[in-house]
This record gives sequence, structure tokens and C-alpha cells, in this order.
Amino acid sequence: MSKAPKRRRAASLDKRKAMGGWLFVIPFVIGLIFIYFPVIYDSFRSTFIQVAKDKQEIFVGIENYQEALFTDPNFVTNLISGLKDMVVDIPSIVIFSLFIAVILNQKVLGRAVFRAIFFIPVICATGLMDSVEESASSLNDYMGDQSQGINTGEMDDGFSMSIDKITSLFESMQIGSGIAEFVVGAVNRVSGIIDRCGVQMLILLAALQSISPAIYESCSIDGATTWETFWKITLPMISPMILVATVYTVIDAFTSKNSSVMKYIDSVEQVNVQTAMAWIYFSVIIVLVIVVVIAMRAYVFYQRRDS
Amino acid sequence: MDNQVNAPKVLKESKNKITVDFERTSLATRLKLKYLNISYVAGLIWRIFRFLLLLGVSYVILYPFFSKITGSFMSGEDFVDVTVKLIPKYPTLDTYKSIMFDLKNDVNFFEALIHSAFLSLGVALLQTFTCCVIGYGFAKFKFKGSKILFAIVLFTMIVPHGTIQVALQTHFKHFDIFGICKLLSGQVIPSFAPLVTLQEMYPTTLGTGLLLYGDSINLTNSPIPFILLSLTGLGFKNGLYIYMMRQFFKGVPDELEESAYIDGYGIFKTFMFIVIPLSVPMMITIFLFSFSWQWTDEFYTTTFWSSSSETFELLPDIINTGIGTMYANTSASGPAGPAAALYNAAVQNTKGLLIIIPLLIVYLFCQRYLVEGIERSGLVG
Repeated sequence: MSKAPKRRRAASLDKRKAMGGWLFVIPFVIGLIFIYFPVIYDSFRSTFIQVAKDKQEIFVGIENYQEALFTDPNFVTNLISGLKDMVVDIPSIVIFSLFIAVILNQKVLGRAVFRAIFFIPVICATGLMDSVEESASSLNDYMGDQSQGINTGEMDDGFSMSIDKITSLFESMQIGSGIAEFVVGAVNRVSGIIDRCGVQMLILLAALQSISPAIYESCSIDGATTWETFWKITLPMISPMILVATVYTVIDAFTSKNSSVMKYIDSVEQVNVQTAMAWIYFSVIIVLVIVVVIAMRAYVFYQRRDS
Repeated sequence: MDNQVNAPKVLKESKNKITVDFERTSLATRLKLKYLNISYVAGLIWRIFRFLLLLGVSYVILYPFFSKITGSFMSGEDFVDVTVKLIPKYPTLDTYKSIMFDLKNDVNFFEALIHSAFLSLGVALLQTFTCCVIGYGFAKFKFKGSKILFAIVLFTMIVPHGTIQVALQTHFKHFDIFGICKLLSGQVIPSFAPLVTLQEMYPTTLGTGLLLYGDSINLTNSPIPFILLSLTGLGFKNGLYIYMMRQFFKGVPDELEESAYIDGYGIFKTFMFIVIPLSVPMMITIFLFSFSWQWTDEFYTTTFWSSSSETFELLPDIINTGIGTMYANTSASGPAGPAAALYNAAVQNTKGLLIIIPLLIVYLFCQRYLVEGIERSGLVG
């Protein structure tokens, strides 16, 4: 922490502004020093100890990590399946929110109403509601049957059959079962995906609004179609914000309480092992975020680097 | 020749008015040309498709609310009757009644609602202000280490809650700043002055919850951890708010502040009287986020409030307590096991509805600011 200069009169404007900057962020600095760093340190330290019955702390080295990675039968499989889900969810969330943001940015009938509806999940889809949904799920299942009429069973079969048919169609077309699986997975989880799109939609909508209309005008004068304009102008212009939205999606998907891995970690009995798992999980997130950022960096276009 | 043919023929000419007869193509041809070309049809199809898509997605979003509302009016009989699915045949207010007046362990719904409202309001106001201040510091001032500090802000966003939950809880359970309390504990603890006054101020809140350990203070079961975290910009998703505020302030032209400096305002006066009035829409956005996320937050509330504390009930307590006699009555009067379980689920469902309704009301008033604030901020920076 840099010391504020004592003699104010002699301080230059730059120095005074630097001091002002420190004054503005000082609440955060205090919080870091007195709350956050101790908490992080404690949490990290607790992964290397175990508490004995007489409340004595025993240093056990990396035993907790070994327990999490090699002894616990479910943690690693859970982690991997969680990662697999992410591979489906993240692109679909980003693409879907981009799509909706583009549409909402156009002149649509009843745009204000649609906007208001689309951001409801931002407000409502959080921790408490998830647990409510979970406890009321049997009711939802019960009422959900309604949409398929009285012959529930048959209709259900019909639906899953058609999905099977679609999948086999894709497979016989040799497009690759990977793509078919991806699409089917995305379709099956569509409401969950929509619920998690809110903030990304806001970010992308703001980005779209910030593109100057003059660019579009000059494009249309030059004879570009809307399709070309989208790929050559819109997409590059908002690519930095697509990166931000993607990173946000990754973080949100991983840290939300209803991700399968978080649920599993919460269910682990031993506190120290639990924390060790959480740290492993955290490092996986960091690695993934870095990979995503590096991978997308190549395609991101910055209009003004200095701003 | 052509010119002569196409030249407008003057039919009637007066001082103010000329009536001219053009050789126009017929109306049918004109309409055909206008509406039967590929670009118009494609545009029309696209517009219809767009509208239907939006409608469909809105349906997906709104359907849970609809089913929640109808489900909340269901009575025990509805779950026995197989023909009843979405719309209840025997609508009652039983689920509402049982939540409002008949929760187990004397948990009072209204009390919890008011407590949560006060907590969320206070936390949201504090967080909005703090994040505004911190974001301004990051946006407009260049000082050594600002980049590292900002990286730490982003870092706090990434750390999953599970990683620090236990440590956070113990930190506030045995709250101590660099052993100051340990130092004082020798003489002062029995009548630790500032805390006694706090206890007098909030008797219901802190009365039994605040316990003094030998060498540290127990701050859990009180709003103090929330206040401390909010004041230091470490609360729920505060990293995101700081980031948003920073991006917003980056879009504010520097000339505005410079002219204020020239007119003799200091840094803080400029901030108070120039910058804050300017950023009200953005602050409303942040406030809305903060309020609604605190309102439905489970993580911090359950971390800092053990559910066994009977003095201060919050919304998670409502979710986690079953209902008393009503449920027992229903199961006694006929419905078999599955129906009773369904009824219980319906009660949970109504709880969710009751929790979400205040939020939706707030949202209705603020949603204009939510979208506008973010758009105007030009989050892009």
C-alpha cells in the first residue's frame, strides 16, 4: 500500500489523484486485509489439517487431497460429468443469449414487454428458488403431465421416440453422434438454459446498443446484406463482450449451488475433505477460464485498445 | 417520343391547385411489385418467426409462474381426483393459510418477510453505495497497484462459495482483528462497551445471538457480517457490481470532472454532487440486482444464521420448516400417501410464490431502469 503524501500542497495533480484513487478503493482494501485474505488463508490451511476428537488440529499434508481424488469414489466422476455438462451448456447459453439479444435489439412488436419478461429469470432464478423448486418438484411433475393430455404415458413415449428417431437420423446421416448428442442435450435442458441467460443477454444487448448506427448505414450503402453485416460487423464489434459473457457463464455455471459438483461437495461429511474438494474444483474453474480466454482471444476484435 | 408520352397531362389548373394525370401502373401491379418480391416475403417470414420465437421463449419463462399460481390454489381433494391436473377443481386458500398461520415451531411468516425485507434493503443500499465508490476509484484514478487490485476484485467473483463457506463462518464466529480482542479480553470483556450499546440498540436481533467467547466475538446470528461484507464490497456478487460500475464510470467523460475541479470542487465534492446524480440509473440497476439476489440468497443467510436461532426468522427458515396441523388434517381426512406428499409439495410451491411476488412487484417498477441503465452504461469499455 502506497503511503499518502504528507505535504499536500506540494503534491502534484497526479499524486493527488492517485491518493484519491486509494481513498475510493480503501473500503475494499480494508475488507481484503481484514476479512478476505484471512478467510482464504484459513480455508486453504484447513485443507492440510484434520481435526481430531479432542479438537486438536493435526497436520496431515496432502492427505485430504488424496482422499478427495483417489479414495472418494464419486468425486472425480462427478467432476468429469459436470465438465461434460458444461461443454453442452456453455455454448448453448452464449449462442442463445446472443440470438435473443440480437432479436431484442431489432424493432419487434411488443419489444418492451418481451424484454421485461426475458429478464425475470435474472431476478428470480437464484439459490432460494432452486431449493423451493426441488422440494416442490413432485407437484411440478404432477402438473406438467397436463401439457400432454390424458394418455400421459403414450405421449411421453412418443416424445422420447421422436428424439430417438432424430438422433438415429443424424447418426445415419454420418454427421456425427457428437453433434446429435449436443443438440438433444440442449433441447432437453432448454428451460434451464433460458433461465441462466439473463445476465449474458443484458451484457450482449448493451454491447449491441453501443455499435454506432453510422457503421450499419455505410454498410447498407455499400450494398451489404443484413446477413453479411451481422457476420462482418456485428459479431466482431461485440466479440469482446461475447468473451465476457462466456467467462461469466463459466463462472456462473460452476459456482451456482445447483451445479451437480457443488451439490456433491456440499453433501460430503468431512469438512476438511470438503474444503479440499472445493479447492480442487476452484483450480479446475481457473484453468477452464484461462483456456476459454486464450482460445477466444484469437477471435476477439478490439476497436480501441487504449480505451 | 418517350418523354412526350410519359409527360404528366394537366387536367385542370387553377391559382392554387394543379390536377395532373400521370400514366401510372395499375394498383394491382403496384401491390404485386411491393409485396410479391422475395425480400419482402423473406422479411415477413423472418418477422413472424421472430415473434413466434419470442412468444415461445416467454411461454417457457412464464409457465412455471402460471403453474405455481394455479398449484397454490389446489386443495387436498384435487390431488385425489385424477382428472385434475393444471386447473384446480376445488380451489381453496388452504396452502396460503397454512403458510401464514400454521408453520411448525411457531415460525411466523410475516415476521420472516419483514426481517428479510429490512435485511435485503439495508444490504442492497450499502452494497450499491460501496460498489459505486469502489468502482469510481477503479475507473477514474490511476494509482500504483490498481490493476492488481482490480484483478483481485475479479478473483473474488470466481471463488466458489463452497471453498470459503466454512472459513467464513468460523471467521465471523470467532471474529477478531489481529488479536485486538485477545488483548482486551483480560479486563474489558465482561462489559465490552461498544457491544453492550449494540445489544441495547437491537435487543431482538442481538439479544441472545451475540456471545462473547474468551478471546473473540461471535458475530453470527446478527446482521453484522452482512454489514461488514457489504461495506467492504465483498458481499454476494459484489465483484460483478464493481465491474459494472467501473465500466459505467469509464463511459463518463473526464471533462465533466475536470470542469468541476476548475470550478473549485475537490475530489469528494465532485463525486457527491456531479458523479452520483449522474449515475442514478446505473445505481438503480445495481440496487435491483443486489436486492433481489439478497432476497433469494440462501448461502450467506444460512452461513451466518444458524437455523436454530429462534429470535430472528428469515425466508430460508420458512422454506425449511414444514407446516403443522393443516398437513396432518389432510392426511387424516382421506388422501393417501402420495396425495399428502403432493399437498406438501403444493405448500412448498406456494411458499415460493409468496417469496417471489414481492420481488416481481419491485421488478415491475424498476425493470425500465434495469435495461436502460445497462444499455446507457455501455458496459463495453
